[in-house]
Amino acid sequence: MVNLLELDKLSFRYPDSPRKAVVDFDLAVSEGEVVVLAGPSGCGKSTLLRAINGLIPHMYTGEYSGDVRVAGSSVRASSMRDLAQTVGFLFQNPENQIFMFTVERDVAFGLENLGVPRPEMRRRVDEAIDLLGIENLSQRAPHELSDGQKQRVALAGVLAMRPRLIILDEPTSLLDPKTAMELVDLVASLRKQLGTTFVVVEHRLDLLVKVADRIVVMNAGAKVLDGTPRDVLFGEEADGYGVSVPAVTRLQKMLAKDGLAPDDRLLSAAELASTVERKGA
Amino acid sequence: MIEFSDVTFVHDNGVKALDGITLKVDAGETVAIVGENGAGKTTLVKHVTGLLKPTSGTVLVDEVDTRTTSTATLSRKVGVAFQNPDHQLFSESVEEEMAFALRNFGFPPHLVEQRVSWGLQLFGLEEYRKSSPLVLSGGEKKRLTLACILAWDPGVVILDEPTVGQDAIQKEKLVGTIRMLGSTGKTVIVVSHDIEFLWPLQPRVVVMKSGRIVADGLAKEVMAKKEMLESARVAQPQLVSFYQALARRPGSPFVDALEARRWIEGGQQ
Amino acid sequence: MMWLSGGFIFRKGTSKYHRLDPRVKLLISALMFVTTLMVRSVFQLAIVLAFMVAVAAIATVLRRVARTMVLTATFSVFIFIINIVFTRNLETSALYASRFVAIVVSTSLFFITTSPDELEQVMKMFRLPRDVVFAFVTAVRFIPVMMLDALQIMDAQKSRGLELEKGNLLRRVRNMIPILIPLVVNAVVRSGELAEAMESRAYGAVARPTSLAEYRARTVDKVVAVVAVLTFAFAVYSFYFLLPTFLP
Repeated sequence: MVNLLELDKLSFRYPDSPRKAVVDFDLAVSEGEVVVLAGPSGCGKSTLLRAINGLIPHMYTGEYSGDVRVAGSSVRASSMRDLAQTVGFLFQNPENQIFMFTVERDVAFGLENLGVPRPEMRRRVDEAIDLLGIENLSQRAPHELSDGQKQRVALAGVLAMRPRLIILDEPTSLLDPKTAMELVDLVASLRKQLGTTFVVVEHRLDLLVKVADRIVVMNAGAKVLDGTPRDVLFGEEADGYGVSVPAVTRLQKMLAKDGLAPDDRLLSAAELASTVERKGA
Repeated sequence: MIEFSDVTFVHDNGVKALDGITLKVDAGETVAIVGENGAGKTTLVKHVTGLLKPTSGTVLVDEVDTRTTSTATLSRKVGVAFQNPDHQLFSESVEEEMAFALRNFGFPPHLVEQRVSWGLQLFGLEEYRKSSPLVLSGGEKKRLTLACILAWDPGVVILDEPTVGQDAIQKEKLVGTIRMLGSTGKTVIVVSHDIEFLWPLQPRVVVMKSGRIVADGLAKEVMAKKEMLESARVAQPQLVSFYQALARRPGSPFVDALEARRWIEGGQQ
Repeated sequence: MMWLSGGFIFRKGTSKYHRLDPRVKLLISALMFVTTLMVRSVFQLAIVLAFMVAVAAIATVLRRVARTMVLTATFSVFIFIINIVFTRNLETSALYASRFVAIVVSTSLFFITTSPDELEQVMKMFRLPRDVVFAFVTAVRFIPVMMLDALQIMDAQKSRGLELEKGNLLRRVRNMIPILIPLVVNAVVRSGELAEAMESRAYGAVARPTSLAEYRARTVDKVVAVVAVLTFAFAVYSFYFLLPTFLP
């Protein structure tokens, strides 16, 4: 079976930079997976994301070696037009990806650009608005909305294009924890309903641990860790790479070393508490 | 030091952003203000330096009424680090950027030079002295804005969402910086919705909801009130949730994983 | 500032006039504009102005139009004075001055009743290049955002001791630099991010993009358009052939 996304020894150097932003990166993501990409600031995550959706090399040129394949086709050889229909990108700042005066028109933006006929466009726009639960916002102007609402609008615009893979760049950075949790639940539900694959760049791992199938850690352009959340967070190296290990997991790790807690799966606060009590009694 | 007396603030469009806020922060305290986006945290902060004036009620900073004083004057005593550094960086070089506020506040040239060097040193930015502030990375820009503030040595430092977009290493450094500020006697107010970041600092916690203060006390007490936190849409620190899930537990929640492990392995006494 | 925003910024309205096809609204304002240029006497202009006021009343924007008229009239006093000085002709000076007011009002009527969305449709219907239309739409969409940016920048710089209210003219202009530079830098960064988002949503993929919104002229639109043209024709005929024989 062909992986939906394959990075094959990808390396990239920006023209005015002495060192490579991405170094020899290998990655395979299968359809329906949710992969979290983490790493310290400046490690090359943004560059990597742009190499996946085609902005590199189509909009940004530089020294490019290796290959990125989405659904079997090389990104380098595909046009942005085709890539835009397979890979959606939700950028970090929701404001700067909403173009139109009304929410509904903006959700249709990508479809208008592709020349989709009006009846089909209408259907897809309504569907995307419905999936994101923003029907009551469809006639509003974007500057009147909260950050969380703007983000949903931007995501609806991406979903309307029906991509198989969606990239989310630090989606929770501007949100408070409850709104962030709602977004994570939304990602889980979209994955379930539509089978969409997600690559999420995120610092706040405690929010994403429930929904992530895999965590990939990057440092100085190279991949340093790649495994299930349990494997990565329980590993020795996590702290060294500035990965935010959630407090409860940190405790579980310590206790597991002394045999007071299991080390084969990640426990929630409540689960860890009952485990500790059982062992203690 | 900072005193809010029954402050209400209503926007031009009729929305009430602050509703009867009464709050007193003494010199040297470290206070965290938490609450969901839109609860009024930033509005509250803007009242301290007079960027916003109360519709009713008064705000006193060191006995000075903010309604009759300019923001520039109040800022001499209260430094505010806003969320977005790109809203203030504009100078040709980092040292010029750091000198900007000092000059505005009337510091003589030799003192400006001294403070700039000190600030650059403290935040590890000496190598960028002559660089343009616009080419610094996001994390470096945040450090620069903080350095700019500390250069004029205000008694109060307010940080508005300092952890947004920061990785774990940067957050740890920030915790250290806040502790350092507290230990040098400064009053520190941190507005943040990152509860896990705040928890190790064990500050006084003020919870806001819909423009009102719904809780105010020590971190260990406030963060234990599950229902109140839920209704204010504030997350509970993981270690507190863990603590509350235990049937047998010590007097107060664990501050860090180490403390929790010690208690558990010490026979849970 | 007040004049500009009161006279030319769109605000949502529910009158029948607002709901007309934007092309018809453009036609009405254009015809008013042309009529203003063609009238020969202040009396005729007064009739045209009265007509504009009546239309404004139908469109429920009378108060705004009235305010625009008054504010513009204060400018047109200068036009009057300059004309008097050079031509010493009371009649023509009054005509030029009041013509100015009428021109502004006819244009204002269009902009305050036509939403940016409709403006975009009109631009597309006139086959303006897609990039030009898009640049216009994006610029207008970001006006409130940039205004908010400016306020936040001013807050940040005030918090660093910048006094925007003090000083002589030169000082105040210099104090704008810490406001303008971040504003411009942010705008440039914003453009870069917008470009990325545009590419990622296939901008430019097709030569003729389709449109979600439909603007089809209804019967009432066609009727109003015809009535407008007939009224214009009648007005021109009256002013040129009928009235001169009765009145000065």
